[in-house]
Amino acid sequence: MQRRGFLKGLAGACALTAVGVPSVTLAAKKKPKGPNEMPYKKALEVITHGKGAVDSPKVKLVVPEIAENGAVVPVKVTVDHPMEPGNYVQEIHILASKNSNARCADLFLTPENGKAYFATRIKLGGTQEVVAVAKLGDGSYVKAHKSVKVTIGGCG
Amino acid sequence: MAKRKSLIKIKPRKYKVGDIVKVDFIVIHPMDTGMRKDKKTGKIIPAHYINDVQFFYNDKLVTKLVVWESVSTNPYFSINMKITGPGKIKVVYKDNLGEVNEKTKKVKPKKG
Repeated sequence: MQRRGFLKGLAGACALTAVGVPSVTLAAKKKPKGPNEMPYKKALEVITHGKGAVDSPKVKLVVPEIAENGAVVPVKVTVDHPMEPGNYVQEIHILASKNSNARCADLFLTPENGKAYFATRIKLGGTQEVVAVAKLGDGSYVKAHKSVKVTIGGCG
Repeated sequence: MAKRKSLIKIKPRKYKVGDIVKVDFIVIHPMDTGMRKDKKTGKIIPAHYINDVQFFYNDKLVTKLVVWESVSTNPYFSINMKITGPGKIKVVYKDNLGEVNEKTKKVKPKKG
């Protein structure tokens, strides 16, 4: 019985340390928040003015499936839509669903662009989805999303 | 005010009036997010990022970009533009500490 009691005590102590230590390290290692923190859902709401966006094959999003370095992830967006005065792609937004600030870049186009195309490189904090939202001439929003696997995060 | 290195590239290199070309813009900039720590001192590096880029073609605004801190270091932006004649492309970029810089490139479309 003595042995059992001793083991129980030991297990309890282990559990305590197991619970106690990580919470302390977590608190110490808690990532500082960026200056413009905005979660993905709120960012989407702000961008679409509460209307929401519909998945559409019109938006073509090209991102790598696996990004070795999260600090440099190339993103390419094309929108298959005419660019005539009066009916053109007005806006393109690039969002990362789990970054502390989900918004990456907002593009405001004019008919002089000729074609709705945008390419850039973004940072991803971890494995997550990259979303491209486009505003069409009639005021509707369409989007496309793709998940990117990140082996090394790019924000810390 | 720090002088920044930047570059405008038009692709393809030979183009005619009426062509739709790619305009690439690259600028050397740290793009600090305000979330990273200095490894030596342990202090958080304050946020310093480009937040506004505007593409002008013959002094007419073609594209406006609002950029947030999650764009990579030494940012690269590529857009399309329709060539309507000779002139220049001007890119004006601002960052969150108030730095304003610009870069111009001449547009020389080929005849025929």
